[in-house]
Amino acid sequence: MNKKMVAVLFASGNESKLNELTIHRTTASLPFGGRYRLIDFCLSNLVNSGVTRIGIVTKNNYSSLMDHIRMGRDWDLNRKNGGITVFPPFVLNTSREVYKGKIEALYTVLEFIKRSPEDYVIVSNTNVAANIKYDEILEKHVETGADVTMLCHKACVNSSKRVIITKNADNLVTDLRAVEIPSDEQQLVSLNMYIIRKDTLVSWVEQAYSRGYVDFEKDILFKEVANNNIYAYELDGYAAIIDDVKTYYYESMKLLDTATREELFGAASKIYTKVKDSVPTMFGAKSSVKNSLIADGCVINGTVENSILFRGVVIEEGAVVKDSIIMEGGIVMKNSKISYFITDKQVVIRENNQLSGAYTYPTIVVKNKIV
Amino acid sequence: MLASKQCVAMLLAGGQGTRLGVLTQRVAKPAVPFGGKYRIIDFTLSNTINSDIDTIGVLTQYQPFELNQYIGNGQPWDLDRLEGGAFVLPPYQKAKSGEWYKGTANAIYQNIDFIDRYNAEYVLILSGDHIYKMDYSKMLAHHIEKNADCTIAVLDVPIEEASRFGIMNADKDGAIFEFEEKPKNPKSTKASMGIYIFTWAKLKKYLIMDEEDKNSHNDFGKNIIPSMLNDGQRMFTYDFSGYWKDVGTISSLWEANMDVLNADSGLNLSDSRWKIYARNMAEPPHFIGSNATISNAIISEGCEIDGEIVNSVIFQGAHVEKGAVIRDSIVMPGTIVRSGAEIRHAIIGWNAEIKESAKIGEYQESAIKGEWQIAVVAPDAVMPAGSIVKAGEMVEGGNK
Repeated sequence: MNKKMVAVLFASGNESKLNELTIHRTTASLPFGGRYRLIDFCLSNLVNSGVTRIGIVTKNNYSSLMDHIRMGRDWDLNRKNGGITVFPPFVLNTSREVYKGKIEALYTVLEFIKRSPEDYVIVSNTNVAANIKYDEILEKHVETGADVTMLCHKACVNSSKRVIITKNADNLVTDLRAVEIPSDEQQLVSLNMYIIRKDTLVSWVEQAYSRGYVDFEKDILFKEVANNNIYAYELDGYAAIIDDVKTYYYESMKLLDTATREELFGAASKIYTKVKDSVPTMFGAKSSVKNSLIADGCVINGTVENSILFRGVVIEEGAVVKDSIIMEGGIVMKNSKISYFITDKQVVIRENNQLSGAYTYPTIVVKNKIV
Repeated sequence: MLASKQCVAMLLAGGQGTRLGVLTQRVAKPAVPFGGKYRIIDFTLSNTINSDIDTIGVLTQYQPFELNQYIGNGQPWDLDRLEGGAFVLPPYQKAKSGEWYKGTANAIYQNIDFIDRYNAEYVLILSGDHIYKMDYSKMLAHHIEKNADCTIAVLDVPIEEASRFGIMNADKDGAIFEFEEKPKNPKSTKASMGIYIFTWAKLKKYLIMDEEDKNSHNDFGKNIIPSMLNDGQRMFTYDFSGYWKDVGTISSLWEANMDVLNADSGLNLSDSRWKIYARNMAEPPHFIGSNATISNAIISEGCEIDGEIVNSVIFQGAHVEKGAVIRDSIVMPGTIVRSGAEIRHAIIGWNAEIKESAKIGEYQESAIKGEWQIAVVAPDAVMPAGSIVKAGEMVEGGNK
């Protein structure tokens, strides 16, 4: 076994900014791209990079995540050695409450990290859809001799807190700051994905925890910048950071662009997800579909334009769906017209409705609701 | 000592399927793609597990690699079990002899040890080239209730078609008194579906006897069933009603795929109580472009469609460019259809490329005697721009 990296993933994050989409679930299990959950991209990237020991730290609403991951077989992670370990929310005897920040969260899984034979740890959020080759990034990490390599990407700041990175020509991080004010200016934004030497991580977390620190970024990384030991690794290709409703809608719609899809799915490394054995999608004689991404198991008899249909969606005759995202099992009944909608799983839009959200503010319908 | 299994299934998947021509040049017939995302064998494997039979031997011989790889450890069909599960059983070298499977009966004969290993009371014999959904557990209950030695599943076929099948002549009670292979003047319309349940002790005896007979073809239909009938063994029919099709010819393979499109055909794949499982290819959802028009079609994951698709089945990962037209056709996985190409009443094998403005196949109003003139392009073939393939013609593949 010559694996080099173990991964610790955080299933929760930014739930409050995702509004109704995360009422029933973690950010990690947010459906994305027609047949995936956000964590699928993370897990597939790890597996495709040869990382097969993965711990997932949960906080709340994690039953949808457990149901999705099961034993990890769909990602080839049902292994004797390594595989997936899901850590249910862990209440420390010392604090008697569920962890508040990443430092406490990492502290609760420190035994898992220490016991892993690998020398490097990937610490990552699960709200990024991208094709990432961790093995190549590790090579850079080792080459620079950094304590931490932060993955980053050029993006705009939105309503969620994002960490902005300033680096020099050698990719050495010279400044880190957190910003929460939306802007149209493209900046180097942290993906909250790090590669860290295991020993370093363990000692940082132990020390920070004993001093009562909570925020991994602010209380550890921001301070470490001065030690000139943090490097940045910029992802050039497509990377979607999903941390509020606007980015969710915008990044989903970007998948209708063929070049984006090629970057995300076209590489030799595949994106795996839970297998559901759906039948292929059936297009009826009166269907009209343009510029849409459609998963298996749908039955389409109406009109669909600029939209994303998840598995098992039914679009009845005369129904018109435009600029919308219909999650698994959704039904749009006869002669209903919807646009700029995000309907969660198993939502039914009854007959003869005419409903519209706006591009900048798509309307969300909560799971299982009937409109 | 392994746990006993009441019933073990044996799936005959070794046939070459010569009538499928270029489609089975490099893969066995059961591995041929079907219905947008399946292989033919998925139907029998799914029926088996849905019938609560969890031990199945798949007898392979001809071009087995694709099939072996596809079945793997049986996991996609929930057949990866601690005891039992799916086993690929190729012919193997034994202490005294080693030989190819000479016939269907010989294939089972060579695997007597496998069946004995599970202490099976009954053996279910299946073929890997039929499209149907059937609960074998009901047939097994029928077999046990009749205290039968052999039960043969039969389908009522139109009398004018009966001479194409093996016909079972039985009394009111279903007791078979006569078996006629492709009779000129059929006396009944009960056609054998090639699905048998035997009481294993009895079958084993007949397999050993058959092996000793040097003149035997070692075939169930030609030898085992007739000799059991001769000896007056208890043989019964089991009536099956519902969709069933032997997809052994290009015409019937095409028809069965078209039946998936037709809600009235009786072939319903989306019944959640009887799912058909398949190995997953981890493809993204399919994309329909701005220039596409699609009507009455099945499209699977990973496709990129920007052309016109009518009455057709498009398999995983196929690309259809703007201006291409596909009607009444089957396009298998990974095939690319370039702009301006026209495909009508055709089957395009997997990973082929149909270049610009090529014309494959011709429109047909109806088939003469059920034999459609389907144009076939082999897997991996590249059809040059502007090339023409006539109705019923078969084009050889590349050497990829």
